[in-house]
Amino acid sequence: MALRFNHRLEQQSAPAFFVRGPSPLARLAFFSALSLALMAADSRFEYLNSVRQNLQALLHPLQLLANAPSRLYRDTTEYFSTHEYLLSENRKLKQNALKQAVELQKLNTLELENNNLRQLLQTNKSIVETSVAAEIMHVGRDLFTKKIIVNRGASHNIAAGEAVVDATGVIGQVTRIYPLSSEVTLITDKSLAIPIQVERNGLRAIAFGHGRDNTLDLPYLPTNVDIQRGDKLVTSGIDGVYPAGLAVATVSQIEITPDSPFARIICVPTGGVENHKQVLLVSIPHAVAPVETEIITLIKPDAKNKKSEIKPIPIKPIVAKPEMTKPAAIKVEPAKPKLASETKPILATPPNNTSKPHAAE
Amino acid sequence: MPPSKLKSIYLSLIIAFVFLLLPWSGFALKIRPDFILLAIIFWLIRAPNLCNVGTAWFLGLFVDLATGGIFGQFALAYTITAFFAVTYQRRLVLFNHTQQLFYVFLLLMISQIVLLIIKTFSGADALGWSYFLPSILGVLLWRVAVIFGLNTGGRSRGT
Repeated sequence: MALRFNHRLEQQSAPAFFVRGPSPLARLAFFSALSLALMAADSRFEYLNSVRQNLQALLHPLQLLANAPSRLYRDTTEYFSTHEYLLSENRKLKQNALKQAVELQKLNTLELENNNLRQLLQTNKSIVETSVAAEIMHVGRDLFTKKIIVNRGASHNIAAGEAVVDATGVIGQVTRIYPLSSEVTLITDKSLAIPIQVERNGLRAIAFGHGRDNTLDLPYLPTNVDIQRGDKLVTSGIDGVYPAGLAVATVSQIEITPDSPFARIICVPTGGVENHKQVLLVSIPHAVAPVETEIITLIKPDAKNKKSEIKPIPIKPIVAKPEMTKPAAIKVEPAKPKLASETKPILATPPNNTSKPHAAE
Repeated sequence: MPPSKLKSIYLSLIIAFVFLLLPWSGFALKIRPDFILLAIIFWLIRAPNLCNVGTAWFLGLFVDLATGGIFGQFALAYTITAFFAVTYQRRLVLFNHTQQLFYVFLLLMISQIVLLIIKTFSGADALGWSYFLPSILGVLLWRVAVIFGLNTGGRSRGT
């Protein structure tokens, strides 16, 4: 009896410090498998979006707490900003407002004119986009991606795939929606592509984020492409995500190496990708259908003409010619087959993802 | 288990999490040490009966949530790191401060390397050697904490 009691005492005497349950190796195997499964479920099948949304809502108060110090700092500096500074800012803003009001008047008449012309041409009406102003909450925490979090989300009717724009140009695209915030992938992110057009000659291309140093690449353009340093790139609007004609980037560097068939073109984004606090989230309702029909109606007569004409005009890749100054919609007579060959690759690039962002995780 | 210790574990982890959520940007983001992993390693060394591989995994999930990457990558990195921390925990108690510092540095590097591998698989670009700066800063933070009297279980050189 005494021996047994002794034995039990000995068994109990192990302090909690040594009681560790399953071995670390077992735990490692279990949790590693679990996280691998989670990764597969998230990246391949996208099962976890709703889970993520709900958990993110849970994190929101902590996020507010973390943002409190910087917000407090900003508020106090704003409070103590000088009278003179405010006055000068006010003056500047008034001037800006005046200038923009004049431009807006011009815009109204232009819009009317545009509508009339479109009616004459019997094409669809241009798309009216809606926009929501948002504020950047913080920069994304993942070093590998270029993302920002803005303070408008599902509860403000934001949808994934909307374009994000600031006063100077396109910034990116909404890629993930949370209840009270949403994640914006910047155009400098490696996974984001944006269809652009060179403002000077209308050459279309697709710009990809470079990923590391806040630049954009224009890959797969031949070495004899008509792009110069300082060329402005604007959105072409073909994708049905971004409104046409917004500034995207400026060409900063062109490298042509003899060992590569493609030119290496580096562009600097015009929008304050890392600077501003306020952004606009722009959505284009039902954009795909009208865009497609427009292009198809334009291509069809071209294709017919091409058949009737002499054949041996080779289908060239997207080589810029100074005559291609206007967008496809206006162009009528010269170089029709070329037009068809131009538009085809763009149709081939999937325009079907208005709701789905370009960025793929 | 002492409830006071449990409470301080939770509190420290929450504080570490708030540090992660601070609006870091630019260079500060590049060198931001992994506060949560540091907290986990500390508790894995100090209280392995309360804080284990599972804790690390669970916190990793929340970090995934906050960083907005693929679900489970930080969880996996923290799990593997926690495994190494727990395996050598008993030996670690005998280390002096310098040795311990080196050990913590290795642990932080393990987590970063695991993350790097996952990211490379998902198609990210390499970031260069500056990618490992957070580990160095993390170790410096650990050292500073030790200087300010945090008992990490290491022995000072004399004793």
